[in-house]
Amino acid sequence: MTLTPLDIVLFGIIALLGVGFYGLLITRNLIKIVMVLQILIKAVLLALVLAGKLSGNLGLGQSTAATVIVADTIVAVVGLALAVQVRRRLGTLDVPKISSMRG
Amino acid sequence: MAEIIVALVIVLPWLGALVVWLARNKHPRLQHTLAVLFSVLTAIASLALFMFASSEAVEIQLPLGKAFGVLTFVPDGLAVSLTAIAAVIGSLAVIFSVDYMHGEAQLGRYYFLVLFFIGAMTGLVLSGNLLFTFFFWEITALCSYGLISFYNDDSKAVAGGIKALIITQVGGVGLLAGTLVAFVELGSFQISDVLANAASLPAAALAWMAFSFLVAAAAKSAQFPFHTWLPDAMEAPTPVSALIHAATMVNAGIYLLARFYPAFEAVPGWTMSVLLVGLISALIAAVSALIATDLKRALAYSTVSQLGYMVYAIGAGGVLASQFHLLSHAVFKALLFLAAGSVIHSVGTRDMRRMGGLGRQMPFVRNVFIVGALALAGVPILNGFWSKELILEIGLEHSPLWAYGVMLFGAGLTAFYTFRMVWLVFFGKERDRLNVHRAGSAMRVALGILAGGTFVTWLFFGGLNNLLASTLPFHELEHESLLELVTAILSAPATWLALLVVGLGAGISWVRARGYRLFGGDWLSPLVETSFGFDSLNRFIVQGTYKVAEQFSRTQTGELNWNILGIISALLVVLVVLWLGA
Repeated sequence: MTLTPLDIVLFGIIALLGVGFYGLLITRNLIKIVMVLQILIKAVLLALVLAGKLSGNLGLGQSTAATVIVADTIVAVVGLALAVQVRRRLGTLDVPKISSMRG
Repeated sequence: MAEIIVALVIVLPWLGALVVWLARNKHPRLQHTLAVLFSVLTAIASLALFMFASSEAVEIQLPLGKAFGVLTFVPDGLAVSLTAIAAVIGSLAVIFSVDYMHGEAQLGRYYFLVLFFIGAMTGLVLSGNLLFTFFFWEITALCSYGLISFYNDDSKAVAGGIKALIITQVGGVGLLAGTLVAFVELGSFQISDVLANAASLPAAALAWMAFSFLVAAAAKSAQFPFHTWLPDAMEAPTPVSALIHAATMVNAGIYLLARFYPAFEAVPGWTMSVLLVGLISALIAAVSALIATDLKRALAYSTVSQLGYMVYAIGAGGVLASQFHLLSHAVFKALLFLAAGSVIHSVGTRDMRRMGGLGRQMPFVRNVFIVGALALAGVPILNGFWSKELILEIGLEHSPLWAYGVMLFGAGLTAFYTFRMVWLVFFGKERDRLNVHRAGSAMRVALGILAGGTFVTWLFFGGLNNLLASTLPFHELEHESLLELVTAILSAPATWLALLVVGLGAGISWVRARGYRLFGGDWLSPLVETSFGFDSLNRFIVQGTYKVAEQFSRTQTGELNWNILGIISALLVVLVVLWLGA
């Protein structure tokens, strides 16, 4: 069985998604959560480019990916800034400890 | 054209609900006006629907995908007559509310729920698709809950609302179970498919459907053994009690039984069970009404009892008689509730022991209440007389003699508790100093129209019969004119026997009233308070639901990782479904 470049990209997407979801499942640290979210978004970016290539609209896929990069940078910046503020005010980055909702 | 009218009777009240809600509570005058406008428009549309009555399905295509089937509405006789009852009595209840809810806070919520209910009720009876019947059925339950608990700072109102919601959910589960059985066997949610292919279904599946629909009907119509929620639902504002808990929503169960009667008739034991449910409800509710001291509770018990008569009629094969009594009952019971509402609004208490002698200060309300009471007792020539006699006649022909005897006894009890109620509220000595004021003009309009209706709706018998006989292909009803009904009833010895029993009940009530011993029956009150022991069953259902809900609340940990786990598993389920389905 030979791997085409397409297969490799597909495996890359699935691997990134897997790492991201696994990270979200086990992480309690706020900064690590921002990091795994970034990993998930990178998987989506790859998928966008791949979808563009497959549907013949490579330009559309790439430009959407470029737009997402901008948006996701803002997510990262705001998320990290929030994490810094949380650390300063509450003295911890442990999500279950921060959580004040009890149901 | 028919499509437009059908769409109007469902969408108009829903649109009205939104508009009234958007009008904001700062403008109560505007809210009253808009609510009356939209409900009256709906009533006009529902009356226009009579011109388009047919057994043909009106298809309103919505791209819902295969799983839901096609959204159809069937404006046949059964649906059209119930739509008219819901919309016309709905509009009268809204008109009555203009006075009754005057100066209350949060009118937006009140009118939103009332109008939302009217639309759901018309949708429920018009829908030709069982799954959508179920959806509308659940919306009516939700509105009923919201309106019972309308005064949400009153713990009794909240408890009554939750009880009604949970007990009617039992009925919802029954309806859903029957619907799914039908879908598995027939691959279709269309009611006409179920009725057409009932004979070819496996006997076990049909029996499952028949009995789960019976549970659904009993829970929705507050029949034995689920009859305990209706008296507790009386914490609702009185126009709501008149509309939802006397004239419309509680009829949904009767509608379901009448609709599917031809399919389930042959199921062994089904008609007998229906007959027994109706008989037991009619009897124990009438006994409970004998000693009730709360005016609205007494009326609620009498509603359960009269609904029992309708269920009994269906059990005895009299679909037409049950629908005829449903029409009469909707009119005179709405009248009684609204009249009781103006008394309660005026004196500020529901306790009949504190009332008495109110007739002198409220002559108009007294007169219309007596009209309603005479119809409830079954005194000629009011509408209740004809329909109750028709039910008793069919009972004599098609049910065991002892069952007929019990129902006859029930008719006597009805007369007794009705006249007791009239006496306690309007006649006799004043037992308490109450601040009485006259009923407002909007109240008088609604009461006057309903009192007029109590005199004349029995004249529609011929038309109703024709409508049902010509548009219900599976029910095999006979054409019978009004004249034939009148001669049949007046010439039957059973009628005179029933009148004698009614007179006896009224006479005993009169004698006891003279002796001021109207609060007798102390040995009965513990039995009635526990609904003859069946309250424990209902409490078990309510408490059980609470316990299960508490267990489920443990899954809400508020922890991020658990929520992610939930999201990922849901995603996996969706992927698997897509993979299997593709």
